[in-house]
Amino acid sequence: MSIRAWWKGIWPPFGAVVLLLVLWQLATSLFQIEDWILPSPARIAQEAEKSYTSLLGHTWATLKLTLSGFGIGAATGLIVAGVLHYIPFLRRALYPLLILSQNIPLIALGPLLIIWFGFGLLSKLIVIVLVCFFPITVAALGGLAGTDRVMMNYMQMIGATRGQIFWKLELPYSLPAVFSGLKIAATYSIMGAIIAEWISSSEGLGYYMLLQQSAFRTDRMFVAIMIVIAFSLIMFSLIVLLEKWCIRWQNDSTAHPKGGIDRV
Amino acid sequence: MSDPIHPAASILVEPEVDASSTPLQANGNPRPFLELRGISKSFAQGKQQLQVMENISLTVHEGEFVSVIGPSGSGKSTLLQMIGGVMLPDQGDIILQNQRINGLQGKAGYMPQQPALLPWRTIEKNVILARETAGMPRQESLALARNWLDKVGLGGFARAYPRTLSGGMQQRVAFLRALLGPQSLLCLDEPFSALDAFTRSEMQAWLLRIWEENRRSVVFITHHIEEALLLSDTIYVLSSRPAHVIQKVPVPFPRPRREELVDTPEFIALRRQLTEALRAELNG
Repeated sequence: MSIRAWWKGIWPPFGAVVLLLVLWQLATSLFQIEDWILPSPARIAQEAEKSYTSLLGHTWATLKLTLSGFGIGAATGLIVAGVLHYIPFLRRALYPLLILSQNIPLIALGPLLIIWFGFGLLSKLIVIVLVCFFPITVAALGGLAGTDRVMMNYMQMIGATRGQIFWKLELPYSLPAVFSGLKIAATYSIMGAIIAEWISSSEGLGYYMLLQQSAFRTDRMFVAIMIVIAFSLIMFSLIVLLEKWCIRWQNDSTAHPKGGIDRV
Repeated sequence: MSDPIHPAASILVEPEVDASSTPLQANGNPRPFLELRGISKSFAQGKQQLQVMENISLTVHEGEFVSVIGPSGSGKSTLLQMIGGVMLPDQGDIILQNQRINGLQGKAGYMPQQPALLPWRTIEKNVILARETAGMPRQESLALARNWLDKVGLGGFARAYPRTLSGGMQQRVAFLRALLGPQSLLCLDEPFSALDAFTRSEMQAWLLRIWEENRRSVVFITHHIEEALLLSDTIYVLSSRPAHVIQKVPVPFPRPRREELVDTPEFIALRRQLTEALRAELNG
């Protein structure tokens, strides 16, 4: 992709963000909005620079929590999908329960998890795993079930075992679906981490935001929110990169043959 | 290119057949390589049973190219699904090299109507798929695959993905995948029906040449009379549903055959005979 084509794709959203920031800045000074209600972007940037060092520790805590929760959640989600796919009876029995479980509000579950697992890391991890694994399981199950019938029939005809069919056909076939699940789960996992830190924590961006809220430091809360957004974007992009690498057969222009002639 | 491949390649020319399992019959004719005996099959359609096959018997001798033609919906593909063990006949036996293989998968190499190449595998890795699932050594298979791809003019595509190949080229790859597999029987299910007329006749000539050099036992499903006549040693004509064998036609033309054969009077006469048999079946 040329720089020009890249820029063509990137400038409309980029321009929209810049426009939004300019409007925001103008509005705060024009209507003289007080800082504790809505600080201006410039003010937020200043505050970010000042509280940079104290935020580093909190950011790191949230980062660790999110990544470990996402890792465990993704692994759980994939394993659950594999097992449910492998045992159709289990799938029929548990799939409705899985859907049902998503109607439980996460916030409502938090206090309960604290009673069961205490204020430590475990409760927080469980919150993130719970939000993460569902989109991955559902996406992977869909991908696995959608395997091309002709390819499946071919594999059976040549005597491939159940395991061979899974590893050589179904799993690679489901990868695009798995990745769309991973992308959703990645953004969920950050949200899960922040909520978990609200409920029980003494560090992390979620905790920091609660702290600043009680001091009416709206500007600092905005700084934290910006970090969360940046973090979320980076995680999303990394997954997109990984996806491009894993599914490179789909749009690869480098594999064009040199010596091949369609000879009879 | 040095040539360490030939020992393996020779296996293809003469598939390994356990000599003890092919006893001669009293009259000296070898037992058929593949035998379908009295195959019947019906499917449930709502509350009714739909009889699709009725007492179909056919034989394929070693190194024989046998075509099965019939009107669409006559269950020709179902026959291959049974040989491949994916589907069970209601009645009848499928005997391959004296072994009853009803419901046993992986006994025959297979080339489906669509190429069904795995899009995330390069061409060479697609070619070795049947060998790989059979647990054959990977490096040897890859060398063999590259050698064959070179031989059929697809050498430059060995590391390309299937997406970059035309339909005809993909079907060649699918055929190589079946040919290089460990099974000595090949089942080809209307492999050229999705191709345009020109590519199709190219592919017929190509298959004819490769097959005559390698002489494998083949069951070839088609509804294309000319294609069947050009390629086969024997043609079975199936009726419409419920399918049974209405004619077994030996094809007398000597080999090696060339495409020009289709213009000879003998070929045209035989084609007319088959066309009429099929037409009578469709109208009757």
